[in-house]
Amino acid sequence: MQEISRRTFVKGSAVVAGGAVVARNFLFSPSEVVAAESGLALQGGVRDVVPTTCWIGKQDCGMLAHRVDGRVIKFEGHPANPRNNGTLCPKGQAQIISLYDPNRVKTPLIRTNGKGGTGEFRTATWDEALKLVADNVNEVRERDPKMVLWQKGRSKAKGFYDDAFVKAIGSSKLGHGAYCSDAGYRALEYTIGTHAVLHPDFRYCNYMLSWGWNITNAGGNKFCWLTWPQHMIKARERGMKIAHIDPRLRSAGPFADTWLAIRPGTDLALALALCHELIALDYLDRPYLRTYTNAPFLVGEDGMIVKTTVGEGDDATDVGLVWDEATSAVVPFGEAETPALEGSYDFEGQEVRPAFEIFKEHVADSTPEWAADLTGLTADQIRRVASDFGENALIGSTLVVDGVEVPHRPVGIMAYHMAQQELGFQTIRAMVMVPMLVGAVGAAGGQLSDFTWKIDKRYAQFEKFEVEDPPYDFMLNNSKYFPINTGFPGIVAKVMLDPERYEVEQLPEVAILHMVNPLTAFPSQAEYMESYEKFKFVAVISPWLSETADYFADVVLPAATIEKYEGPISATNQYVEATTLRIPPMEPLFESKGEIDIYMDLCEEMGTLYGEGGYLDQVNKALGLVDDNAAFAIATDTKPTVREIFDSWALSQGIDEGIAFFEDPNQSVFVKGPMSPNKMYGYVFDPPFGGALHRLYGESLLDAQRQMRDKGADEIYWQDYTALPTWRAPTMDASPDDYEFYLISYHMIEHKQSRSSFVPLLAELAPGTRLDINPLSASRLGIADGDVVTVESHNAITGETRSLATTAAYCDGIRPDTVGVPHHFGGWTHPQNKGQGASPNEIYFVGEGYMTNTADQAFHVKVKVSKGGEL
Amino acid sequence: MATQTNTQTSMLPQGVGRLTTTWKLAMAGSFLLFAVGVFAFVRELSTGMIETGMRNVGTMGGASWGLYITMVVYFIGVSFAGITIAALIRLFNLRHLRPIARFAELLTVVALILGALAIIVDLGQPLRGVVNLFRYARPQSPFFGTFSLVIAGYLVASLIYLYLGGRRDAAIMAQYPSRLQRFHRWWAAGYRDTPEERDRHRQTSFWLAVTIIPLLVIAHSTLGFVFGLQVGRPGWYGTLQAPAFVALAGVSGIGAIIIVGAVVRRIVHDKSRIDLDVFAALGKFLLAFLLVYLYFMSVELLTLLYATPEVEKQLSDALLLGEYAWIYWGSVALLVIPGLGLLWQAFKRRWNVGWLVAFGIAVNLAAIGKRYLIVVPSQTHGTLLPYEVGSYSPSWVEYGVVLGLLGLGALMIGTFVKVFPPIPLREDEEVMVDA
Amino acid sequence: MAKYAMVVDLNRCQGCRACTEACKIENNTGQSMFWMHVFRFEDGEFPDTRMSFLPRPCQHCDNAPCVKVCPTGARFKREDGLVLTDPDRCIGCRYCELACPYGVNYFNWQTPEASQYSDVIDWDDPDIQSATGGLSPPYRNPDLDEEWGSERRRTAGGNHDKGVMEKCTFCVQRVEQGNLPACVDTCPVTALRFGDVSDAESPVSQFIRENETWHLLEEAGTEPSVFYVGGKPPSHSYKEVERPKARV
Ligand SMILES: Nc1nc2c(c(=O)[nH]1)N[C@H]1C(S)=C(S)[C@@H](COP(=O)(O)OP(=O)(O)OC[C@H]3O[C@@H](n4cnc5c(=O)[nH]c(N)nc54)[C@H](O)[C@@H]3O)O[C@H]1N2
Ligand SMILES: Nc1nc2c(c(=O)[nH]1)N[C@H]1C(S)=C(S)[C@@H](COP(=O)(O)OP(=O)(O)OC[C@H]3O[C@@H](n4cnc5c(=O)[nH]c(N)nc54)[C@H](O)[C@@H]3O)O[C@H]1N2
Ligand code: SF4
Ligand code: SF4
Ligand code: SF4
Ligand code: SF4
Ligand code: SF4
Ligand SMILES: [Mo]
Repeated sequence: MQEISRRTFVKGSAVVAGGAVVARNFLFSPSEVVAAESGLALQGGVRDVVPTTCWIGKQDCGMLAHRVDGRVIKFEGHPANPRNNGTLCPKGQAQIISLYDPNRVKTPLIRTNGKGGTGEFRTATWDEALKLVADNVNEVRERDPKMVLWQKGRSKAKGFYDDAFVKAIGSSKLGHGAYCSDAGYRALEYTIGTHAVLHPDFRYCNYMLSWGWNITNAGGNKFCWLTWPQHMIKARERGMKIAHIDPRLRSAGPFADTWLAIRPGTDLALALALCHELIALDYLDRPYLRTYTNAPFLVGEDGMIVKTTVGEGDDATDVGLVWDEATSAVVPFGEAETPALEGSYDFEGQEVRPAFEIFKEHVADSTPEWAADLTGLTADQIRRVASDFGENALIGSTLVVDGVEVPHRPVGIMAYHMAQQELGFQTIRAMVMVPMLVGAVGAAGGQLSDFTWKIDKRYAQFEKFEVEDPPYDFMLNNSKYFPINTGFPGIVAKVMLDPERYEVEQLPEVAILHMVNPLTAFPSQAEYMESYEKFKFVAVISPWLSETADYFADVVLPAATIEKYEGPISATNQYVEATTLRIPPMEPLFESKGEIDIYMDLCEEMGTLYGEGGYLDQVNKALGLVDDNAAFAIATDTKPTVREIFDSWALSQGIDEGIAFFEDPNQSVFVKGPMSPNKMYGYVFDPPFGGALHRLYGESLLDAQRQMRDKGADEIYWQDYTALPTWRAPTMDASPDDYEFYLISYHMIEHKQSRSSFVPLLAELAPGTRLDINPLSASRLGIADGDVVTVESHNAITGETRSLATTAAYCDGIRPDTVGVPHHFGGWTHPQNKGQGASPNEIYFVGEGYMTNTADQAFHVKVKVSKGGEL
Repeated sequence: MATQTNTQTSMLPQGVGRLTTTWKLAMAGSFLLFAVGVFAFVRELSTGMIETGMRNVGTMGGASWGLYITMVVYFIGVSFAGITIAALIRLFNLRHLRPIARFAELLTVVALILGALAIIVDLGQPLRGVVNLFRYARPQSPFFGTFSLVIAGYLVASLIYLYLGGRRDAAIMAQYPSRLQRFHRWWAAGYRDTPEERDRHRQTSFWLAVTIIPLLVIAHSTLGFVFGLQVGRPGWYGTLQAPAFVALAGVSGIGAIIIVGAVVRRIVHDKSRIDLDVFAALGKFLLAFLLVYLYFMSVELLTLLYATPEVEKQLSDALLLGEYAWIYWGSVALLVIPGLGLLWQAFKRRWNVGWLVAFGIAVNLAAIGKRYLIVVPSQTHGTLLPYEVGSYSPSWVEYGVVLGLLGLGALMIGTFVKVFPPIPLREDEEVMVDA
Repeated sequence: MAKYAMVVDLNRCQGCRACTEACKIENNTGQSMFWMHVFRFEDGEFPDTRMSFLPRPCQHCDNAPCVKVCPTGARFKREDGLVLTDPDRCIGCRYCELACPYGVNYFNWQTPEASQYSDVIDWDDPDIQSATGGLSPPYRNPDLDEEWGSERRRTAGGNHDKGVMEKCTFCVQRVEQGNLPACVDTCPVTALRFGDVSDAESPVSQFIRENETWHLLEEAGTEPSVFYVGGKPPSHSYKEVERPKARV
C-alpha cells in the first residue's frame, strides 16, 4: 500500500507492527543519517509520544501526541491506525491550540442571573456543583425519571458510558441524529436492514454516484472525512468514474467526472427516473430480486401482501405468497422455483400482482423528461447516468475476493445527508432501489451500507407499526404523527411550547446536556430559545461555554477535551478491522474531568453508582463485561478509576497487556486483520444479507398510513407513508415566487459543526459565514462579490419569515436558483466568534413541512436575497 | 569686546553667522518635523513594522516596499543632479555657473544622507542592518549590496569634493575673527592661496570630477537595475528602467537646485551673486532632461497600453484607469505643464525665478509620484501567481518618518548656510594678510 | 549528498489545507502566515465550472532570485537543495520577497508574542501558565531553537524575531532528523511526496520518472525543486475562492 511505503520509505514493515516513531523515518544514505544524528544534541527536555485519537472529529482518527517534558507540542496521524494511516485533516492538526485555550470552562460554574440571556456565573467546587445537579435531578426522578431529559449531540468514541448513565437513572434520551442522517438510517434499516446510509465498495467500484457527498470537505456515510477520500483517490487511479449529484460543485472539487447540478429537494424524482430507465433498458438482476427482495410478493388490491401462515403454534409465521412461474401456481415464498416478478394473477377471486409489477407501473411515468423538469437537469444527463450505471453493473458477473466468490456489481452510491430533506426517508429508499435493481446491494464493488452486514433490530420492528392513541409522551413515540420516530429535539421543543396540540400531558422538567449545542448547531434557534427556558433546571457538560450553556445552564460542568480516556473506538476503514482507545496525552487541564469521571461522581452523589442496576453495573453491561466475560467485570461496590474500567475491557478483548497495550505508542491500535468478504458482502454473509429480506415494497408503511388516518392525523403527517417512494413537491415550493432561492447548508473542511469555529487556527483558514451565490443571479439583483446581503426565509405553512445578514460570495459552482451557507458559525461565547456571522440555523424552520415523515430535520427552505443589511 | 565681535561677525559675507528671525522660525519648524519623524520611528522600532501600511506580497495582499523605498529612490535621484552639475562646472570650468557649485554639492551630500537614512528606516532590523550590510555584504546583490556601498563611496567622494572646493573660501573666512573662526581655520587647513596651491587644487578637483562621473553612472544604473532585473515583478523587468531612472533623476535634481538656489539667493541678500542667467542655464538644463524623460515616458505609456500578458494588463489597468490612475496622470501633468512653461520661457528668452521655482516644486512632486508608481503597483497588482490583488497605503508612521527626514534635510542646509558661504567667494575677494 | 525535492500530485489534492495547518504548528509560524498556501480556484461560468486546488510551498529554487538579491547572505541555498533563511543575519530588507516570483516569503511584522493569536487567547493566563510556562504558542517546538546543518544556523521554523523574513524551510529540522516535512506527513491522500532525487531509486525519484511533471512559472527560470503532477498551471482567469484570513 502506497501510503505506507510513503510513510516508511523502505522500512515498510515497521508500520502495522507499530514502531510509530520508526515508521515516520525515511531512508537517507547512511552518511546523512550520521550527519543528521551527529548534528543533533536536541535540548528542550524529555521527548516522548503518547498514542491518542482526534478529539474534534467524528471518526476519532488515531493520533500520536508528541511531548516535551509532558507538554504536547504536536499531534500527528497514527501510522498504524487503518482509519487514517498516519495522516490528519486540518481540524485534527489544529485542535492542539484549543487544548491549551484558557477560554475553556476551567471550573464548575453556577448561574447567578436569569436564563434566556448572556449568562453570569460564579465558580464553584465540584462537590457543590455535583450536589446541586444531583438534588435537582433526583427531585424529579422520584416523581418520574422519564421527565429527566438527557440530551447529547454528535458524540465521539463509543457512547457506552453515557448510555449506562441514562439506564442507571432511567431518564429520557435525545440524540443528534434527527439533525444528521437518521431518516437515512431508518430508510436503510427499513429497506435492507443495515444501520447506516450508503457507500460504494471503493476497492472494486468502477462507477459511483456521489449523491450529495461533500467529497472534499466532509463525511459521507458514517465517517468523518479522510478515510473516504483515501479510498476514492485509489479507486479513481484504478479508473473509477464519479457522477456528482449536488447543487454545488465545491463539494466535489476537481473530482466530478460529470456534475449533475440538481435542484435541492428533488432527488427522489431523480432516483425514480433512474429506476425507470434501468427497467426500460432491462438492467435488472432478476435472480437477486426474486431471491433476496420482496419484489415477487403478490400484492392484493388493498395494497397488502397476500400471506399465508406456515408452521404450527409458536413458530407459526406469516409468509408472503408468490407466483411460481415453474408451476404456474401461487405458493409461499421460498417454496417457489422461479417466483414471478411481473404479470397479474388471480388469487382467491382478487387480482394480485407481484410487488415488482406494481413498482414498474409506479415508475412508468417517471421518465427522464418528467424528472428533468423537476430536478433542473437535462433528460440526456439522466439517461446517460442510468445507462452508465446499468452498463457498469456487469449484471451476472462474479469476482473472487480473498478466495470467496462474490457477485460483482462495480457500481454504487455514496450518500449521507441526502436524508436531510423533507422527503428524506423515501428519497433514500428510492436511492437504494437503484443499486437494488441491478443487484449491486452487498455485491463486490457494489453498494455497501454498514461496514459489516449486521442487521439492526429495527428491521424486525418495522415489520409492523403499532400506532397508539393519545396522550403521547413528549417525544411522540408511536404517535399518529410519527410512527417512525427516533427522537427529534426540534419536535420536542415544539411539543414543550404547545403540548395540547400534540396531545401530550407530561413535559420534561430538568435537562442534562452532554456535548450538544442546539442553539447554534440545530434548527431552529427560535424554538430552542423558548423551550429551554421552560426547564426548571439545566446542567451542561462541556469543555466550552456553549451558546446553549450561556443562555440556559444552571450549572456547567467542565469536561476535559482530549485529556481523557474514551473508547472503545472502532478504527476500521471498511477493509481492515481494528479498535483503539483515546488515551489522555496529559492530565486534564484546569479543573476539568473526563465524562466518565463526571458521571461516576454524579451517580455517586445521586446514589445510583453502586450495586445492581447502578452505574457501574450498567457500564459492565454496556462494555459486554457480562456472561462469558463476567470474569472481567469491574466491581460494582467500589468506584474504579477510568483507566481500570478500560483495563478490564481490554483484557476482556483478549489483550493480555490490558490498557497498557493502548498506552504504548508502538502498539495502541488493536488490528484484528483484514475484513473478511463474508462479513462485508451481503451475498456471502451467513445467512445472506443477515437473513433480512429487502423491502422493495413497503407494506407496513402503507399500513401505518391507514392507522394514522384512522386516528385522524392530518395529511401532512401520513402523506409520505407510502409502500413505494412517491414524488410530491416539497412543502417549501408553496412559498411565494419572490422567495426565489433554495437555501442549502453544508460542512466546511476547516470546521466541525459549531464546535470549532472558535479554534483560532481554523478560524484563520475559514474566518466566517458567507452566502454562496451564482454571479448570474447576484448581478441580476445588483449584488457584487463581498456585498452585505439579507437572506429572508419563508415558512410556506405558517407564513412566518426569518432573516439573517451576511456577505455575498460569488460562486460559479452553484445552481443559479440555489444559495448556500456553511453551518459552523453563529456562536458568540468565545472571543474568536466576534464578527464570524450568523448560522443558517437561525432562519431554517423546524416542524411541519420542514421535517421528514420520520421526525427528522430538513435543511432546505426558500429564501429571498436582497442587497444590504446589518451584519 | 562683545560689540566688537558682533560688528566683526556682522562683517562675515553672505550673512554667515547672522541668525535672522525668519531663519530661526524656519529652523524651529524643521526641527519639529524632525521630532515627529523620530517619534514615529521609535514607535516602528518597538512594536514592529506592523505599524507601517506595508504587508507581504501574495496571500497577505500587500506591498512590502512602500513610501520609504520610494523616497530612497527619489533622494538618490536628487543627489545625482547636484554632483553632476558641480562636476561639470569643475571639468569645463563654467565660470558663470560657479555660484551654484557649492550648494549643488551640499544638496548632493544632504540627499545622500537622507537616502541612506531612508534605507535604514525601511529595515526590519535597522541596527543589525547597518552592521550586517557591510559585515556580510554581497556585492552581487544590486540594491542593498552594491548600492549601499555605492552610496557610501559616493557620499565620501562628494564630501571630499565639498571640502576641497571650500578650502579657499574657508581660508578667507578664517581671516574674520568670529565664533566660527576655529571651524574655518580647520577647514582651510593652512591653505594660503599661493598660485601653486591654487593650481594643485584645481588639479585634484578636476580629477575628482573625472572619477565621480563614472561612479554616479554606476550608482544610478544599479538603482535602475534593482527594479529592472526583477523577473518576479511584472512592470519592473526591462532595460528601459536604468536610463529612464537617470533622466528623471536629472529632472528632480535640477528642480531641487533651482529651489535651493532661489532660497540661498534670498538668504544672502545679494541677487548679484546669483544672477538670472544662472537660473536661465538651470532652466535650460531642466528643460533638456524633461524632454528626454517625457520621451521615455511616452515609450512606457505605449508599452502599458499594449500590455499583453494578463498580469501586465492587470497592472497597466491599475496604473492608467485603476486605483493608481490619479497618481499616474497627476505626475504626468506635473511634468508636462512645467515642460511647456519652460519651452515658452526659453523661446521668449525671459526667465522668471518665481515660475522656475514653481516648476521645480512641480517636477519634484511628479518625481516622487513616479517613483511610487514604480515601487508599489507591481507588488499589489503584479503577482505572477493569481493572488487576489493587494492594496497599500502608507500609515501615519511612514508619513511621519518621511517628514522627519525632510525636516532633517532642512536643518542641515539651514545650518550650513549660517556657518559657511553657500556661494563661492569671487576670485577678486583676495585673502587679506593680517597686519 | 542528498538533493531534496517535493512533488505535489494535483490528481490527488483535496484542497483540505491540512498541510497548511501542519506547517503552522510544526514551525510555530505567526498569525496569517502560510508557508504552505493552498489555492482553491474556480474557473468558467455555470454550468461549465471547474474547480482546482494548488498547494504552494516555497519552491526551493536551484536558481533562486531570492538568494541572488539578498544583501547579507541571510537567504542561502544549501547543497542538499534547501533554500533557508538565517533569522540572526537577516536585516529585514524584504528584497528576497520582491525578487521571488511565487509570493512565498513572510515577514515578521509583529513581535513573536503578538503574532501568536494573542488577540483572542491570553497565553499569560495564570491557569494555563502551569501547563505551558507561558510559552507562546504553548506548543512551541523546541527544535526551532537549535542550529541546523553544517552551517550551524538557527534556520528551522518561524516566529524567531520581529523584523526578519521567514518562509518554508522544507522542514529542515525534520528532514535532518530523518522525518518527512510536516505537510507531507499529514497529507491525508499522499498528494505531497518528498525525498532524495539524487538517489535514482528513491520513491520520489521513481514517482517523478513515472509521471509527467511540470513546474510553477517555468518561464521565470528559477529551476524549482518542487514538481507538480496532474492539473495544469494556474491562469489569471482563475478566481481564487475561500481565501484564508491572511492580513495582519
Ligand atoms: N469538515 C467536517 N467534516 C465533517 C463534519 C463537519 O462538521 N465538518 N461533520 C460530520 C458529520 S456529523 C456528518 S453527519 C457528515 C456529513 O457529511 P455529508 O453527508 O457530506 O454532509 P454535508 O457536509 O452536509 O454535505 C451535504 C452536501 O449535499 C449538498 N446538498 C444540499 N442539498 C442537497 C439536495 O437537495 N440534493 C443533493 N443531491 N445535494 C444536496 C450540499 O451542497 C453538500 O455538498 O460530515 C462529517 N464530517
Ligand atoms: N445548518 C446545519 N446544521 C447542522 C448540520 C448541517 O449540515 N447544517 N449538521 C448537523 C449534524 S450532521 C450534526 S451531527 C449536528 C451536530 O450537532 P452538535 O453535536 O450539537 O454540534 P456541535 O457543535 O458539535 O456541539 C457540540 C457541543 O459539545 C461540546 N463539546 C465538544 N467536545 C466535547 C467533549 O469532548 N465533551 C463534551 N461533554 N462536550 C463537548 C462543544 O462545546 C459544543 O457545544 O449538527 C447538525 N447541524
Ligand atoms: S477526519 Fe475527523 S476525526 Fe479525522 S482528523 Fe479530521 S476531524 Fe479528526
Ligand atoms: S494536505 Fe494534501 S490534500 Fe490537503 S491540501 Fe494539502 S496537499 Fe492537498
Ligand atoms: S520560491 Fe521564492 S523564496 Fe523560494 S527559493 Fe524560489 S525564489 Fe526563493
Ligand atoms: S530580508 Fe533578510 S533574507 Fe531577505 S533579502 Fe533581506 S536580508 Fe536577505
Ligand atoms: S515543507 Fe515544512 S516548512 Fe515547507 S511547507 Fe511543508 S511543512 Fe511548511
Ligand atoms: Mo452528523
